[in-house]
Amino acid sequence: MAVAAGAARMTGLLLVAPAVLFLVGFYLLPLGLLLEESLRPWSGDAHPTAAMGLQQYERVWSSGRSWRALERTVRISLVSTLITFLLAYPIALFLLRAGPRLRTAILLSLFVSLASSLIVRNYGWLVTLADAGPVNQLLLALGLADAPLRMVYNEEATIIALVHYALPFMVLPIYGALLRIPPSFVEASQSLGAGPWRALWGIVLPLSMPGVFGGTTLTFAICMSAFVTPLMLGSPATSMISQVAAEQFLVQLNFPFGSAMVVVLTVVTFAILLAYTLLVRAAVRVHA
Amino acid sequence: MPEGIAFRRIVAVSAWLGIAFLLFPVAFTFAASLGPSQFIEFPPAGLSLRWYENIARINRVVDATLVSLGVALLAGAFAAVLGAAAALALVRLPLPGKAAVTSLLLSPIALPIVAIGIALIQFFILLGVAFTWWSLVIGHLVLVLAYPVRTVAASLTLSNPSLEEAAASLGATPWQVFRTVTLPQMAPGMVSGFLFAFLISFDNYPISIFLVRGDLTTLPIELFNYISQNLDPTPAAFSSVYVAVVAVLIWLAERRFRIVSLSIPR
Repeated sequence: MAVAAGAARMTGLLLVAPAVLFLVGFYLLPLGLLLEESLRPWSGDAHPTAAMGLQQYERVWSSGRSWRALERTVRISLVSTLITFLLAYPIALFLLRAGPRLRTAILLSLFVSLASSLIVRNYGWLVTLADAGPVNQLLLALGLADAPLRMVYNEEATIIALVHYALPFMVLPIYGALLRIPPSFVEASQSLGAGPWRALWGIVLPLSMPGVFGGTTLTFAICMSAFVTPLMLGSPATSMISQVAAEQFLVQLNFPFGSAMVVVLTVVTFAILLAYTLLVRAAVRVHA
Repeated sequence: MPEGIAFRRIVAVSAWLGIAFLLFPVAFTFAASLGPSQFIEFPPAGLSLRWYENIARINRVVDATLVSLGVALLAGAFAAVLGAAAALALVRLPLPGKAAVTSLLLSPIALPIVAIGIALIQFFILLGVAFTWWSLVIGHLVLVLAYPVRTVAASLTLSNPSLEEAAASLGATPWQVFRTVTLPQMAPGMVSGFLFAFLISFDNYPISIFLVRGDLTTLPIELFNYISQNLDPTPAAFSSVYVAVVAVLIWLAERRFRIVSLSIPR
């Protein structure tokens, strides 16, 4: 038996080794080098210093553009996550009750959407919200606008496209969590006199928290790292932090400063997710 | 589910609004692709397929498509094999530090994508292999490896491990057990993991933009450039073809491997 356990352990190690070694070599190591780069001085500075240090991080704080972009990124991500949740929850509830054919049709369209190119989907919003696009035509026809409204190249268009991108990532885990709730729980509460809203608020929503947590976490992470979407639907005045960091690499060639921005973005993302995790855990404990 | 007529109606109306929100841009893009005019207009003034013919005029579209296809096939295949092996060990075998290994394997999904591109290009410059085809495959593999790990782990969790014990107790060798019992159990997860890895790689822009230069280019990069430099509906035609192909792939994978039920987190 001991021999068999040892052999199983060995097989397990051999099986994970390729994936783990690949990620150590081409993911953890490059990220370590990124961290090192962010501590370097930049030769293009007016007064370059030779010493390694936190000067690039001070610039992230003090440079108006990168600081505003970071602030905007957090704000856009929080708003988009909230809107995505509000749109996704009814879809997940509806899926529970839909017949098998309708359910499969909706799930498949979520999958096709999820698997369609991000650039293609953003382009869809450029078309939909264009000056001569269907939304403007509708507003003009209804007399709600006298001239076509400018609806693209701003923060709102960016949020709309981010919500559209994240929606399947939010619906699927919530639906998965709703599937696990025993129907008898809800029936019991209703037969004891709870109205549907009371049952939703008191039973269904708390029990679906694992799915809500998974969906909101993923959506928030997706929005924080948004790059293509604000590039296509926003303007230089509404840049998100990934764009500003990328400019440092592709245009300014200031690798240390760009690296520092990316490190700050990663740390801020994980810090917010950690705070959210602790908050949810505390809330669950109070509820239980 | 909570019962009540008003409740039921409100849920249904909100859900349909959400689904319309999901589908409208695709429908409008398709409508726009059929118009004859140089610019996008609603409703289209007539029917024309000229923008579909014009897809061929997207800069370097053939080269870019071949690079994207090759990179996505390789990254997807490597991800499916490496990911499946890792998932098998994580679900079925004793392993030290399982939690740490799982976090490592899944973490690239949560990291800002631009961070991966930026970290890799500095690393590849250091190694002297920047802007090569293989460096692009490696960059995409870092991003997509997590997907097959998830889907294969899901198919193994949903299938019955006692079948393996039964096969072994009936005298099958470990290799026979793997080939005839375990591998078929993993297959749906490998297929859907490969499909997602392939599609995510094929669509990637934020990593590729750092890793390509000169002759090396990918389809998303050329598509993005075309959209930012032209106002005609060619990208609408391209988008419609893209969505149609993805829809067929997903539909086939669902019929054969039930990928939808596999990918609902439980």
